[in-house]
Amino acid sequence: MRLSRRDRLILFAPLTVLLAGWLVGPASLGLVATFTTYSPVGSAIRFVALDNYVGVLRDPQFSAAARNIVLFTVVAVPLEVVAGFGIAYLLREPLRGRAALRVLLLLPWLISPIGSGVMWHFLLGPTNGIVNFVLGWLGATATSPLGDLRLALPVVIVVEVWRLAPFAAFLLLPGLSAIPRERWDDARLSGASWFRQIVDVAMPSVRPLLITITVLLTGLALGSFDVVLILTGGGPGLSTLTPALYSYAAAFETNEWPVGAASAWLIAAAVLLVGFIYIWLSADRDST
Amino acid sequence: MRTRVVLLAVALLAFLLPLAWTALASFGVVPDNSSRPPSWAGSFSLDRFGEVGVAEPAFWQELATSTASAGLAALVTIAVSYPAAFALARSRSRTQSLVAPAFVVLASLPAMCYVIPLSDLMRRAHLIDTFAGIVLSEAAVTAPLAVYVLHGAFRQLSVEWEEAAVLDGAGLWRTLLRIVLPLVAPSVVATALVVFVIDWNLLLVPLVLTSGEIKTVPVAMSDFFTFERELDWPTAAAALAVSLAPVALLVGLFHRALQRFALEAIRPESSDE
Repeated sequence: MRLSRRDRLILFAPLTVLLAGWLVGPASLGLVATFTTYSPVGSAIRFVALDNYVGVLRDPQFSAAARNIVLFTVVAVPLEVVAGFGIAYLLREPLRGRAALRVLLLLPWLISPIGSGVMWHFLLGPTNGIVNFVLGWLGATATSPLGDLRLALPVVIVVEVWRLAPFAAFLLLPGLSAIPRERWDDARLSGASWFRQIVDVAMPSVRPLLITITVLLTGLALGSFDVVLILTGGGPGLSTLTPALYSYAAAFETNEWPVGAASAWLIAAAVLLVGFIYIWLSADRDST
Repeated sequence: MRTRVVLLAVALLAFLLPLAWTALASFGVVPDNSSRPPSWAGSFSLDRFGEVGVAEPAFWQELATSTASAGLAALVTIAVSYPAAFALARSRSRTQSLVAPAFVVLASLPAMCYVIPLSDLMRRAHLIDTFAGIVLSEAAVTAPLAVYVLHGAFRQLSVEWEEAAVLDGAGLWRTLLRIVLPLVAPSVVATALVVFVIDWNLLLVPLVLTSGEIKTVPVAMSDFFTFERELDWPTAAAALAVSLAPVALLVGLFHRALQRFALEAIRPESSDE
């Protein structure tokens, strides 16, 4: 159906209002504000160019947060995608009880990040947790790994992978199931290993989907806030501090609004960088 | 085949054991790790669900707020995304290949990137602590994802239907609602469900837009644990079970519709190469 220019404007208008008012607009105004001393409670506004950003980047707390989130993203996102692909791969062919399995294996994603944090806080804790229940049988006990400087970040990663791998599986399954059965059979008959089957049969069909999922999960990872807030609050020390926690604390707790807004825009910059690469890849793919 | 069943069993165990542990605790059955060897303590009862309302008197109110705000936000998201996604799907393919992925980027933008100025703007607009403020802000979070997904659904739809409708003299809106909507209804329902789940679980957006007058369940939970009002495990587990139940129920009921949720339009195999 050919749409006139006017049709298109009308169809886009409601979305434009919503995004301009509640997402892109606030983000852009926030960006402008980060070059000034603007704060909701302050009165005088001065232009300070990049001072807020220089301040954030010089803060050792932010450096620690940036280091943590890079590590977190680089480890968690591939694990989520690979585990999600694994689950979807296992569920791709009809199987008795598949419908129930699909719902059951989506359950971890249905829990909020906050709820998942509360749950794992207790599961990893000493008195009623799983870890100590198992260790108890071996005659050992352990304190919560969330209090350990070296273990806290890996544990947070595991908790997020537990929650998001099922979501990745849910998103991947339709793509994997759509691959005609004969292609798998052909590959199997020609003696291809399971790994070659994945590379030669699955990848060509689901590569765009995998890339899109990776972008979504990367954005989620770079903005990690909820689960860390509950599990560790950023500690012990600075071992699990994330840029989002840092921004939140600056803007809403320690009354350094410009610092919070500036560090939040550094997260946005990282996400947008990934995003531009993605758009470039997608446009490239569609033009060939 | 056997490896497949074994691996699925392992996955089920890994992903569901934590939830089973929580479900048991919500019924008062908890492990006692101090005995040697560890044993199970407590007997099966429903008391813990009642105690949620004692520990957090407003819990049932918050559950209602969460349900209503996530439901309405999902409706608003679909209402604004549906026409936009259609317009996008019927624009030139060069435009689509740039604009559609831009919506994925917007969808992946963490809320932290814009909630600081958003909360300031909402305060100035007197939308802080209001139901409308929460609904509109949550709808904006999920709209980009909905546009991208629905755009894929429209692209897969043959244009013959709408062209026939236009030839018959139907206007734009009539075509969109009476002809196209029934054809893409499964995708719309699936998208609405996914959007509802995301809205239901949002923390940061309702957190910065409220100061206690109105609360959603995730905000209440974070208050509980960040302000050290220690909750015992069975009561926390009961609260978790209650807050998971509505979305789990929805997903269970509509699992067939959810199978239609395709993030990326599945291209016909012939045009693949």
